[in-house]
Amino acid sequence: MISPETLVFVLIGASILLALVVVIRPSITASREGKVIAFLALFIVPVVTAGVGASEHMERSEQTQFCLSCHIMEPYGKSLYVDDPAYIPAAHFQNHRIPADQACYTCHTDYAMFGTIQAKWEGLHHVYVYWFGTPMNPIRLYHPYNNRECLHCHAGARSFEDSTHMAMMDDLKANKISCTTSGCHDTFHNVDKLGEVKFWKPLE
Amino acid sequence: MLNKLRISGVLLILGLVVEALSLCWNTALSFMSFVVIGGLFFASGVLLFLYSLVSAKPSVE
Repeated sequence: MISPETLVFVLIGASILLALVVVIRPSITASREGKVIAFLALFIVPVVTAGVGASEHMERSEQTQFCLSCHIMEPYGKSLYVDDPAYIPAAHFQNHRIPADQACYTCHTDYAMFGTIQAKWEGLHHVYVYWFGTPMNPIRLYHPYNNRECLHCHAGARSFEDSTHMAMMDDLKANKISCTTSGCHDTFHNVDKLGEVKFWKPLE
Repeated sequence: MLNKLRISGVLLILGLVVEALSLCWNTALSFMSFVVIGGLFFASGVLLFLYSLVSAKPSVE
């Protein structure tokens, strides 16, 4: 089975070869067939290839490795390895409650109709600020964390549907009580305390 | 027109090379290279090709 990545590289190679034909022999456009080849080589195929490449980049931008490639995010990546189950992101990451290779994206995307688009847009904004502006220090979320992102996975799960959670379910859904700031599950990345904690080392 | 086609092809090939190189890494920098540098080559190559079409003198049959 050919991977999407291989397919993109094959497409890029084919596009380059096709464009080279026109670059080396532009005189082929004198004929009707040559005009068609030139139109394909210099317009249709490159546009499709660029679109496929952009799509591949978008897919890759969901990966944990991508988010942590910015220096400013390194402590947040490190916090995923804190050896303390009270650290919510670390517990989710280490126990694969979320896909480990898409850890940031899974929890920091809005599970709403345009959540993915909004996440990509905010990601572009982050990249812009990182390279051309001044990132906020410390980093803060744009909005208070929405319970919807927790309930997307936890609602309906057997371990979640105990009397405590069920008694406050309406308030949780309405965000009247926050999962993250009501004193129940309030230990997150805590990057300023990373010097005081132990870290988990995964077996290779 | 032939010269414009040639330049357009070269610009598109450069854009494709940048795209291929940017896909060798999965970092914000490679993504930005693809969007900014690759996008610039792609856009200028395609636009030059389209311009060469509309600016071409009609051939005499």
